[in-house]
Amino acid sequence: MGWPGLLGSLAGLAAAGLCVVLLVAWSGIYNVSASRGHWPLVELLLRFGMENSVEAHAPDIVPPRLDDPDLVRLGAAHFHTGCAYCHGAPGSPMSAIARHMLPPPPELTDRVDPWSDQELFWIVKHGFKYTGMPAWTTQERDDEVWALVAFLRHLPRLDPLTYRELALGDVMTERQDGRAIAMTTSGADEACARCHGTEGKGPLSDLVPRLHGQPAAMLERALRAYASGERPSGIMKPIATALSPRAKQQVADYYASLAVPPPRTQAEASEAGRRLATEGDATAEIPACLSCHDAQALAIYPRLAGQNAPYMANQLRALQRGSGEGSATRAIMAPIARRLSERQIVELSAWFASLPATP
Amino acid sequence: MTPRRAITSVSVPVLLSGCSDVQSALAPMGPDASRIFTLAGILFAGAAVVMLIVLAALWIAMRGSPDARRGLATDRAVIVGGIAFPTVTLIALLGYGVWVMRANITPVDAAAVQIEVVGEQWWWRVVYRDAEGRRIESANEIRIPVGREVEFRLTSADVIHSFWVPNLAGKLDMFPGRTTTLRLSADRPGVYRGQCAEYCGGAHALMAMEVVAVPEADFAVWLATEAMPAPAPVGETDKRGQTLFLAAGCGACHAIRGTSANGVIGPDLTRVGARRFIAAATLPTSRETLARVIVDGQHIKPGNGMPPFRIFSPGELDALSGYLAGLK
Repeated sequence: MGWPGLLGSLAGLAAAGLCVVLLVAWSGIYNVSASRGHWPLVELLLRFGMENSVEAHAPDIVPPRLDDPDLVRLGAAHFHTGCAYCHGAPGSPMSAIARHMLPPPPELTDRVDPWSDQELFWIVKHGFKYTGMPAWTTQERDDEVWALVAFLRHLPRLDPLTYRELALGDVMTERQDGRAIAMTTSGADEACARCHGTEGKGPLSDLVPRLHGQPAAMLERALRAYASGERPSGIMKPIATALSPRAKQQVADYYASLAVPPPRTQAEASEAGRRLATEGDATAEIPACLSCHDAQALAIYPRLAGQNAPYMANQLRALQRGSGEGSATRAIMAPIARRLSERQIVELSAWFASLPATP
Repeated sequence: MTPRRAITSVSVPVLLSGCSDVQSALAPMGPDASRIFTLAGILFAGAAVVMLIVLAALWIAMRGSPDARRGLATDRAVIVGGIAFPTVTLIALLGYGVWVMRANITPVDAAAVQIEVVGEQWWWRVVYRDAEGRRIESANEIRIPVGREVEFRLTSADVIHSFWVPNLAGKLDMFPGRTTTLRLSADRPGVYRGQCAEYCGGAHALMAMEVVAVPEADFAVWLATEAMPAPAPVGETDKRGQTLFLAAGCGACHAIRGTSANGVIGPDLTRVGARRFIAAATLPTSRETLARVIVDGQHIKPGNGMPPFRIFSPGELDALSGYLAGLK
């Protein structure tokens, strides 16, 4: 038998195989129920494939400093929003319903260590096909994914109390009475204050913006942009989506009405930062920041005085990458952010952070 | 054929190539452009004569009598026709060219009107000086008095541009970090379109300007008005427009003299409503075109430095563009 004959037989075999597969799928013999689980051999094969896939696809990039407490806190708060329901968390077991998914989501305490930082990053960013593990809701915010990885690195060593403090801050988690428990649909899990603080208290992570005293119009627009995806954020999108238009307005009004708490850390301000913010740099076509970000500007623009420096620098870098240019206000800022050098970003953020906030 | 008809029959095809006198070096409107036009005429006519001589020599070489062909092949023919003739002709032309362009190397006429023009991607910053030497900044439209010598001091803020108003003068490059000088004058009032003549990036084709030549008395009046602060807004809508202009941060890049807007990155808008065109002679000035530039300038001139301001309600945009259109 020559080559043509061999190829013909192979093609025939493949066609026959395809027919069998179609027949099995059509017949309904195969049981897709999650209740029965996988055969041990299939389970082994799937796991083998999954582990190799992660290893092959994990990007070869250098992670940011994963022991940065700001990053860990941000990751912890989002873990509580998005992950704890299925994976459980120190002190709160995984949901009984999630436990009966196939495959069941693992308790992470002893499952994180075998993966490298890059592998964890890839898993968190992309999720897994044919499991309940979702991808990050935007593919544009690697900085947020790293926050979760930073938290996962700390997770195995956390006791329930430290976890609650990290993920929930000062938010009241015990409901006051039976009626409150009976009547409330959303509790501490969606509370803005977990990350953004509340009366007299700013955010616990400097990667989280201080919303106190910001114009309500700006806050409300930001929530709408997060919900629509105009402004991508895997952390804010689930929360903003859950808020009704009225709730967005109310929570924006609430933070707008709050007095600005004193900063957590004192920022070092430089003369270069001050000059750029107040005068701009005409040769580099950088307008003065304060022309749009002082107290007299439009209420849809954020005020920057007293803003957390790491948050602001992070946002300027995101703007440089074009993140969120679908939002009309960010479309104004993005080309300007691109004219800034990394050094200028750091200087500007530090200078604004050092200012007393002026409502 | 009458001389008039002869001129017409020659000039019509030439004019058709440009279809109009707008932005045409073939329609000189000032002494400098006229000299260049004459020089060009002589060059083209001379080139035509040389071309005829070459063709004749070619014909002789192929079809001429043996005597004529032998004559063409002598050393003398090569020395005269191939060395002496080009040398003499080119030297004469060079001398004539230098003589024509002498206006550019003679000392400045102290009475010349001084105007600074800075080429920027993709517009022209125009700076006049009043009698006391104070800066009066404008953009994209240059007023000059008819009959007066005007000295342009040209430079660039970014890449190499070239200043060319074909009806009035030749082109001159504008270099970053260096100032070049171009002198011209206009014989009669009119609007003369100019264009950046050196490729300077994506929107190079949309970097145009207009030189408006007006009688000298009108120019003085105009310059005095131009030097004044912008007119205060009258009416509620214009006032709202001004408030929006300032609160939206427009003043970070654009100046409107007499307000707190003192930006120097983009064009000065103190009298933008009085200019015939906006966006460097790209769109006629009106409420509608101003609104388009505010919202969607990147579509009109891709890559320009101004971010899109899609933040205004229709009413706000109308107030803002109305305020700007009223700055006259």
